[in-house]
Amino acid sequence: MWSPLYLCMTPMRNSDPRGWTVADFVVRLVILALTAVLLLTLQQTGRLGSLESLVSLAITPGQSGLAVLTNRISGSLTTLRDFRDLQQRVAELERVNQSLIFETLRLTEVERENQQLRELLGFAQTHASFELRSGQIIARVIGHGSNNFLNFVMVDLGAQHGIKVGMPVLNAQGLVGRINSVTDTTAQVLLVTDPSSIVNAILQASRLTGVVGGVPGLDPVMGFIPQGSNVGVGEVVLTSGLGGNFPKGIPIGQVVEVRQRDFEVFQEAVVRPLVNFGRLEFVMIVTNFDPLYTSEE
Amino acid sequence: MNFQRTTWLIIPAVGAVATFQTVSGPWLTVNGVRPDLVLLIVIARSLIAGRRDGTLWGFVGGLWMDIFSGGPIGASSLALMAVALLTGVGHNAVFRRNLFVPLIATLLGSGVFSLIYVAILAMAGYRFPADLLFTEVVGPVLLYNGILMFLATPLLNRIPEQTEFA
Repeated sequence: MWSPLYLCMTPMRNSDPRGWTVADFVVRLVILALTAVLLLTLQQTGRLGSLESLVSLAITPGQSGLAVLTNRISGSLTTLRDFRDLQQRVAELERVNQSLIFETLRLTEVERENQQLRELLGFAQTHASFELRSGQIIARVIGHGSNNFLNFVMVDLGAQHGIKVGMPVLNAQGLVGRINSVTDTTAQVLLVTDPSSIVNAILQASRLTGVVGGVPGLDPVMGFIPQGSNVGVGEVVLTSGLGGNFPKGIPIGQVVEVRQRDFEVFQEAVVRPLVNFGRLEFVMIVTNFDPLYTSEE
Repeated sequence: MNFQRTTWLIIPAVGAVATFQTVSGPWLTVNGVRPDLVLLIVIARSLIAGRRDGTLWGFVGGLWMDIFSGGPIGASSLALMAVALLTGVGHNAVFRRNLFVPLIATLLGSGVFSLIYVAILAMAGYRFPADLLFTEVVGPVLLYNGILMFLATPLLNRIPEQTEFA
């Protein structure tokens, strides 16, 4: 069967007895042109719709796959081309990230320090009767005791800042201890938890007095509390001012346990300090208080 | 190795350990007790290099500890030197072949250190309730130091043993 397409597509062989003539070429050209015009006409008149759909349906998956493949190849080529730039950008972003992390940590630390200083400032304002070392009213804790038997901390203020042995040391939570020894630039604070520390105290609610002393490895104990009165768990323990070693009214801690036995002259109370001695960073030293007795005098 | 030259390095080396112990104390504290890092270093040194070297480390380390602790200067030195003399027995072959020698040396050393140090403190006027001192401080410290030394023993075994100098 002869068709225009067949005529066009049939290869011209050397064995063709008719040979390859100009007339043949013109005929085929005309046929192809007419076919094209026909197809164009059919398409323009909307008579090729079904055929177009069928063809589209057949080729769409392949087309899509090819598009994806092309995109991937293109992307890979782009990535390869931009690899060096990306490496530089990653390195740069890592540097920026590191600096931001460092900055965040620094700001967090500044914020925490700011909060602590605000607390101490608030304490100083609400206890206006205490003259706190001004200029450098706040001492920074620079070291903790190096063994398990003695409870001291070192602070960065010393004799040249007016610090003297016996001065009470506080923070926003309450009593920390007192100055035990002083060098020109540092001072050693004997904590209230040290076994050699003795603080005259009073229970805020029951107004009973006693003596708070440190106990190795445990919370301090308030002893010498007179029998006959009830001591409540949770009662706040304050300095009593008796003995003249500490100003009156500084919070020391809260009663967490009461040891009362009828056959003993006094009862005892275990006191949990309000100050977290493991996290001491700043303390205040009361400089206008002259203790009546210090161990070094 | 020139002994005279390297000996001076003990001062900053042990000082660094003592400083670290002082500064990091609150973060190393477990149940109210902290490890005696200087003590552990002295014990380790005695086991590796013998009692003579150990006592020197103990002396220097003790001075550093006393400077930081606020206790009587020299008390820790005496206690640590005694510990070095005791634990130096574990030097040489026994140390190399037995995993438990450092542990036993640490338990004994910590006990001896505590006894001597507390005795010196008591002589200096400090007063401790003995029962609580041993149940709440000395016992837990022995345990803490022992655990740390046990964990550090593989590292310790990598350090070449040294002969005692004359």
